[in-house]
Amino acid sequence: MKILAIDTSSQSASCALSDDGKLLGEFYENVKLTHSQTILPMVQQLLATVRVPLDQVDLLAVTNGPGSFTGLRIGLSAVKGMAHALGKPCVGISTLEALAMNLWGQDCLVAPVLDARCAQVYTALFQGGPQGIHRLREDAALPLDQAEEGLKNAELPVFLVGDGAQMCYNRWKEHLPQLRLPAPALQYTRAAAVALAAGLPGHPPVEPQALAPAYLRLPQAERELLARQAQIETRR
Amino acid sequence: MEYLSHSTEQTEEFARQFAAQLRPGDVVACRGGMGAGKTAFARGLARGLGLTDRVSSPTFALVQEYTHGNIPLYHFDMYRINGLDSLYSTGFFDYLEGEGVLYIEWSENIQDALPPGTITLTIQPVDEETRKITIEGDRF
Repeated sequence: MKILAIDTSSQSASCALSDDGKLLGEFYENVKLTHSQTILPMVQQLLATVRVPLDQVDLLAVTNGPGSFTGLRIGLSAVKGMAHALGKPCVGISTLEALAMNLWGQDCLVAPVLDARCAQVYTALFQGGPQGIHRLREDAALPLDQAEEGLKNAELPVFLVGDGAQMCYNRWKEHLPQLRLPAPALQYTRAAAVALAAGLPGHPPVEPQALAPAYLRLPQAERELLARQAQIETRR
Repeated sequence: MEYLSHSTEQTEEFARQFAAQLRPGDVVACRGGMGAGKTAFARGLARGLGLTDRVSSPTFALVQEYTHGNIPLYHFDMYRINGLDSLYSTGFFDYLEGEGVLYIEWSENIQDALPPGTITLTIQPVDEETRKITIEGDRF
């Protein structure tokens, strides 16, 4: 099965083609380019390089959240459009899960962290080992302090990945000695990891119309919403 | 920094000169009621940044991008924004990573989301013709 995967969820952009689990090719750049202009030419160049025409792709995969509002929509639109035109299924992969896949097979914990602004991060927790990677905690939007608290007393090294990794590492390393940063090539979301996740059980393909973003509501927004709802209630 | 403006043209000219002190990545948060001259200030800023785009109020579009020139200017109007979810869905946070200057009208609505180092611009009507313009920030 040939899987074409793309990621435009953060500042980096990436696309990859895998065939029955073998990575045929991958492009990755992280230079603040406008993804809406770069991602499709990148996909075209990748397919030309690996000599696989687009209509031979069996499944299209894309990171569908959390991440940059605009970035996510660019990737989703590109995949929905291609899948619809080709009559092929597609699948949305959590950005945080794709990040954790970068540490596949390693005996460690992986905490993906994406900068959600206003002292908050999108984060989750995974464990690497003989089975590859498995999830310990669901994707969540948390204040930085709460995210740090959740990593205390870990008994394995904890790798931070994602665009918030450097920031969190600098803030937390004093109190969390087991924190690690991986090599630069593994710090950001890679389309190869999106393709890897898409081929695993638990990621059922869907029709392009059904592919949707998975934004996480920020805790501050949650509080504001509750405050507004309470106001409406008291007026009744 | 304070300036007393006696006309729309003076507001624009002041903004044009002020633009020379701005750098890519700067966020200018404007506070001022309707008719204070926030959009006039934006026009001056755009000229000062070397942009030839036509400047207009982004009340409905939420953001206008002016990119024909040296430093891009992203002109926001937060009048209709009523919370963090709403702000997120404008793509506002993505612009903070960019190489342009952000100018935000009705910034009072997103006070908590403004990044550190934001330059605050207040335009207060003194009378029908006169405005007191105040600029506060680390570099001012």
